[in-house]
Amino acid sequence: MKISELAEKTGLKAINDYADREVEGVYISDMVSDIITSAKRNSVLVTLQTHKSLVAAANLVAAAMIVVVKGRQPSDDVVELATRTGIALFVSDLDTWAFARKLTQLGFE
Amino acid sequence: MNPCSHEWFMCHIRHGYLVVEGCFECGGRLSFFSEEPVPPVDEYRQGRHFWNYMGSSQTVKFDLQCRRCGTTVSLEDVNGIMFSECHDRDCQVGALVTQQGPGSLVYVALCPDSTHAAGPCVSKEGIEALTQYFNQDLGALGRKVIVVPCKLCNSIDRCRGTVIADVGLTDIQ
Repeated sequence: MKISELAEKTGLKAINDYADREVEGVYISDMVSDIITSAKRNSVLVTLQTHKSLVAAANLVAAAMIVVVKGRQPSDDVVELATRTGIALFVSDLDTWAFARKLTQLGFE
Repeated sequence: MNPCSHEWFMCHIRHGYLVVEGCFECGGRLSFFSEEPVPPVDEYRQGRHFWNYMGSSQTVKFDLQCRRCGTTVSLEDVNGIMFSECHDRDCQVGALVTQQGPGSLVYVALCPDSTHAAGPCVSKEGIEALTQYFNQDLGALGRKVIVVPCKLCNSIDRCRGTVIADVGLTDIQ
């Protein structure tokens, strides 16, 4: 599924410009030390974190997109870094579990 | 020279704490990895140094192994990885950062001793393996990661960068 399709079907708000690409999996974590060892390439990362280290780690694992849940807004420098790395950055008003349920309904496991 | 076109994966993954100590005498920084449930906070003398606990954050250590030839590269000398935003043209890392185009980022592999007085920095083999590992999936996306050892940094203690460690978790509300 493409990023744009996933965003539309789950009601996400894009907060940077991104190149559309395939999303192949999901990883949910608020710890960058966990993300760097366990997230797979082309994943959507679902997190509460808005720290810049999140984007630095997401870049290393070739994540496709980041979804920050519970309506948290990343700062401008975080958005700028996500744009530089080509990682699509979105915000959801849902909590982690509610957003994860939406992903499973779309067929992600 | 190994002719293998390596395909690296992480092995020997250990979760723990990156503990940072500072010396009041020389201003140096020392870091070590602790797998203890609670990171140690002791003060101690070591020669002319007086090391004091400065902070800790949850982090991970790992080695890299090649799926094809079985070669394992120890990253025991890597205590952390820092995304660099240095723009100091007098610093080798800063100069490298400013030369990069879009989608190319510089990361600094941090060794335990920022002064490099006690020994060498991260090994050449470790830097090469980390660079190859992180670029395995990025190349197809037109992105690139450059990993350099922290000895190239003019002052790692004053460098503008973001260490990939779990700082600020307690700030989440």
